[in-house]
Amino acid sequence: MPADFVADRRKAALEVFEREPLPRWRRSGFWTTDVRKLRLDELEPRRYEPLDKLPEMVREHIGDEEHAGLLVQRGASVVYTHVSDERLVLTSLERALEEHPELVREYLGKRLPYDEGKFQAATAAFWTGGAFVHVPKDVQLDKPIQIVWLLDDPATAQYAHTLAVVGEFGECKLREYCLAPDFDGQALHAGAFELYALPGAQVDLAHYQDWGEGEVHDISTKRVEIGRDARVKWVPVHLGGHLTRQRLDIVTAEEGSDMRHTGLYFTEREEHLDLFTTDKHEAGHTTGDTVWKGALTGDSRASYEGLIHIVPGAQESHTYLQTHSMLLSPKAKGDAIPSLIVQTDNVSASHGGTVGELDEDQIFYMMTRGVSRSEAMRVLVEGYFEEVVQRLDDPGLEELVRRRIADKLRGAEEQVKEFIGERS
Amino acid sequence: MSLEIQNLHVRTEEREILHGVDLVVKKAETHALMGPNGSGKSTLANTLMGSPSYEITEGRILLNGEELNEADPDARARAGLFMAFQYPATIPGVSVANFLRMAVNAGREEPIKVKEFGQLLGKHMELLRIDRDFTSRYLNEGFSGGEKKRAEILQLAMLQPEFAVLDETDSGLDIDALRIVAEGVNAMRVPERGFLIITHYTRILNYVRPDFVHIMLDGRIVREGDSALAGELEEKGYEWVREEVTA
Repeated sequence: MPADFVADRRKAALEVFEREPLPRWRRSGFWTTDVRKLRLDELEPRRYEPLDKLPEMVREHIGDEEHAGLLVQRGASVVYTHVSDERLVLTSLERALEEHPELVREYLGKRLPYDEGKFQAATAAFWTGGAFVHVPKDVQLDKPIQIVWLLDDPATAQYAHTLAVVGEFGECKLREYCLAPDFDGQALHAGAFELYALPGAQVDLAHYQDWGEGEVHDISTKRVEIGRDARVKWVPVHLGGHLTRQRLDIVTAEEGSDMRHTGLYFTEREEHLDLFTTDKHEAGHTTGDTVWKGALTGDSRASYEGLIHIVPGAQESHTYLQTHSMLLSPKAKGDAIPSLIVQTDNVSASHGGTVGELDEDQIFYMMTRGVSRSEAMRVLVEGYFEEVVQRLDDPGLEELVRRRIADKLRGAEEQVKEFIGERS
Repeated sequence: MSLEIQNLHVRTEEREILHGVDLVVKKAETHALMGPNGSGKSTLANTLMGSPSYEITEGRILLNGEELNEADPDARARAGLFMAFQYPATIPGVSVANFLRMAVNAGREEPIKVKEFGQLLGKHMELLRIDRDFTSRYLNEGFSGGEKKRAEILQLAMLQPEFAVLDETDSGLDIDALRIVAEGVNAMRVPERGFLIITHYTRILNYVRPDFVHIMLDGRIVREGDSALAGELEEKGYEWVREEVTA
């Protein structure tokens, strides 16, 4: 019985959670991510009643665009579910245990073991609500599937789990939004996301994270498995979070699978962002393309580490990874670390990483056309991100991201002016 | 109306490059500034625009009587000064059309109307024989040498400055591209505008005939004359000037 299977999994995960110490992620150089300041004991999985209408904050972000389905989880409870395309299965993971036990049993945790660390174990042990997506074989959905994780009260712990299965030759757009208003106090989002794109499937996936100015700790693992001749385009966007540690992994698991992974981050104030991504090729004739771009203001810290891993036998795989980080403040610190493990021959894999600042020649050039220094700086940063924003290929979401970047740049204008002024 | 350079001394962090340059460009005039590589021509152009890489230690730059020495580059542009760059910067993520609109609007109180902008752009692109799809490309990203120079002249045409400095706009152009660029410049030679054309070669001056020619050597203007001087230089080369000066 699937319910038993989940109960057993929760129990085993609880043991791991209790045994494991609070994690600390270290990297060469100055980088350490730790969660010592998180008062885990003071957080609780807050429950909420279902909602008849969407919270304002959610509406602002998802816009008026029609969707194939929408699910909102607030704190520990799924409070809103709406499916407009009946071919789609979108429900809480709790209900999916009853309604789609075989699928849940087959895929839950398939690529996401509960024993990888304390927070992964916590999510596996304590998840409530949850999101379950199933796009059946041969079903093509034009409108997006939207999932929202909302944290609107401090002292909340949200143990989040999304399980998405896109059947053979299924096609969909899947959007996850992580949102919180600016509150005083701590909160936790410990997330698990798994997507299985079965043979021939085409998935356009985006994550939009903006946890606001509260002390939200986001410790998540997101994993995507791509089957034979299937394709996933994944665009994670990080626009706010007090402390974020995420692992984002893509596995091209069978021949002919293809992934395109494009990420963006913008950190400010005292934010701390730690991203670790892997592009793992488990089969031959697979292709990958990873581009990440970030910008940092204030005293923020952002580290991006990207690994390409080509396992033995995955011949004729072709992939590359690029990461760029732009410092817009003298006190911000950024890392961009690409790395490579290639365990077979006859493949092509390349990678590159840069950490830079705004280019004074570009600023001068724009100013000679009558554009002010601050306008030039804004346009250059927006232009820098534009390549990534366009890869969203979703006008509503693109506009949202552009608007948020513009807001952040306006907020940082004085310090950036000072910074680039100092250097000229 | 004039662009006036008085006893201009300019240095970089390492050394002084211009050792007292005097030059006056009045409106309706076209001046050519010629000189071998490293003579200080580009330093002069970049200093006129207020490049942060150069420091004025003595002398003045005046535009219509107003001193520009301390003005930021954007203020100089809004005052009517323009430079076509020898090596224009790439602006990723910003299309030619959006860049031009931003630049045009920077010099106006009210933003230009979409239709008016479109007509103006169409007209100038036709003059410079630039394809329509050019405007949706990111400015200078992946542009050939000729495309970059044409994009510079297109900006000149759209911004309609009082004084335009062309910093080696002719270099790196094949003869067809040079002719198109020269035609564009000639179309913009109107009584309300002055030009300072900086070049290493006399080639462009066969198409854009200057009223005055100045020859720069080692950070000083050493010879001045009318367009005949360019012909003489073509014939005898920069070594001749150097020998004359040191003699």
